[in-house]
Amino acid sequence: MNAATTQEQRQSISEDDVTIIIGLEVHVQLDTKSKLFCGCSTEFGAPPNTQTCVVCTGAPGSLPVINQQALRLSIKTGLALNCEIARFTKWDRKNYFYPDLPKGYQISQFDKPICGLGYLDLFDQRDKSKTRRVVLERAHLEEDAGKSIHDESKQGGNSRIDLNRTGTPLLEIVTQPDMRSAAEARAFLNELKLILTYLEVSDCNMQQGNLRCDGNINLHIRVDGQQIATPIVEIKNMNSFRAAERALDYEAVRQLELWKQNGLTISDAPKQTRGWDAATQTTTLQREKEASADYRYFPDPDLIAVTLSEEEIDSIRSEIDRLPAQWREELIGQHGLKPYDADVMVGQGRGVIDYFLNVAEGCGNSKMAANWIGQEVLRFLNESEATIESYPITSTQMTELLTRVVGGELDQTRAKEVLEQMIEFQLEVQSAMDKLGIKPVDNQEIEALCQQLINENPQVIEQIKGGNAKAVGALIGKARKLNPNASPGLVKNTILKMVGG
Amino acid sequence: MSDSIDRETVEQVARLACIDLPASRVDETAKQLAEILEYVGQLEQVSLPDDVEPFFGATESVNAIRKDELSPSVARPDILSNAPDSDGEFYQVPPVF
Repeated sequence: MNAATTQEQRQSISEDDVTIIIGLEVHVQLDTKSKLFCGCSTEFGAPPNTQTCVVCTGAPGSLPVINQQALRLSIKTGLALNCEIARFTKWDRKNYFYPDLPKGYQISQFDKPICGLGYLDLFDQRDKSKTRRVVLERAHLEEDAGKSIHDESKQGGNSRIDLNRTGTPLLEIVTQPDMRSAAEARAFLNELKLILTYLEVSDCNMQQGNLRCDGNINLHIRVDGQQIATPIVEIKNMNSFRAAERALDYEAVRQLELWKQNGLTISDAPKQTRGWDAATQTTTLQREKEASADYRYFPDPDLIAVTLSEEEIDSIRSEIDRLPAQWREELIGQHGLKPYDADVMVGQGRGVIDYFLNVAEGCGNSKMAANWIGQEVLRFLNESEATIESYPITSTQMTELLTRVVGGELDQTRAKEVLEQMIEFQLEVQSAMDKLGIKPVDNQEIEALCQQLINENPQVIEQIKGGNAKAVGALIGKARKLNPNASPGLVKNTILKMVGG
Repeated sequence: MSDSIDRETVEQVARLACIDLPASRVDETAKQLAEILEYVGQLEQVSLPDDVEPFFGATESVNAIRKDELSPSVARPDILSNAPDSDGEFYQVPPVF
């Protein structure tokens, strides 16, 4: 491992010789009203330094007290991620100096984290019929730091500090280095975010910094039968999942090129911290990483340990509703959705699933409900960047519309026109149908219409009689022009019956 | 248990703690730190049964927990008055970069 290599050896390796090794650290802001150790509000967007107190700022004599809801949300997340939940957990001081950390230490958890080993299963990005397991090392509860606003003018002006965010509860979820591509890392982040939003433990708003991730990446390279590893790099400042994927992709290429030039391995160079620069789409060196010993962790003497009973853990477990993976299975198994459609629907969140379930049950046709929601509803939501909660058509209205389609009163094409009218003019189903002049056509009218089509189109009728029943399709469009309310299915069947095709 | 502490360790600890330690005092500090460690190290002479769990704090009580409820924050002028420098809204600190 990590033997010296020659320039020639390094130039000869191919893509197949390189394995990308990625681990992630994800910070999730837990959705509590008050901070982790004091009663200050966690509300985003307040004027600077209006949500702090002696505990947040570490004034002498102040004492932190742990927030019950932060504990519960951490445990809930840990259970959903298949983690071992600690029966005894405690807090430690992580010591470092930075202007947005007023105490000179962060209250975090070192050797007794609230959640231990767990895992998350993902679709294999190369073959979606398979899954890949990412093992979670731990998840621990810690306080956030404040926000620094640096002078951008490069004139050496002061930095300004807002401590409102100081002390907000964060759950840091740490994976083992189990991801093998940037795309897989992104898939992990997507699935994790989905689980967190289903659990309602965090709103995961990345713009507000409620979900932040750092990535650790290096390469394992096979050279002439031996394996070497490149120095590990931690990438910070990946502000979106897309940025994370790009940063990791960029870094994998950079490390390979650098190693081809200098041959340095993990044994030759320390771990680096690099920042993702979205403007230049590159990573730049921030610092050589401090070792864990440099943080001089020790148990926080201001806080006492927390013990958790089986009853408490069970009671939190009982609050966990179905998770994304279970919903996918249910939509496929119970409602006949295709795996792709189920995945799309689950990816939209619980609201869309509830909407679907209401409509599917109401109209009695899951497949039709899935198609309509997958196409009409989601297209509208995407185009207008709306959520299902603000979609103008309630599930009751959609049920009524689709019930008429299922009952043969409307065909799908007309039903879509009805839906457009309902959205544009805020109409109920019947009013929209009236507005479009849609009314039931009785059998006599259909027969008369079909007779007319038969009389006017002798060539088509000959084809049908000659055994080509599909030729009737040419008459459907004509029927629609003569009477837009005539059901195409009914017209088709009636013509075929009348000509004996 | 009289491990000496070298100058490098003292300088490293001083750097991590942001303490400005003059070079002339490094040897003296190393000696003092070694004495402290030796003093505390006497505890290791106490023999304990194997099944004793490590002790993490100064008290055996556990579970001091508060409900997730808001309490008033400190007014901004008051909290900022503790800062060496502020503009009335933000703390002002020397440029970080």
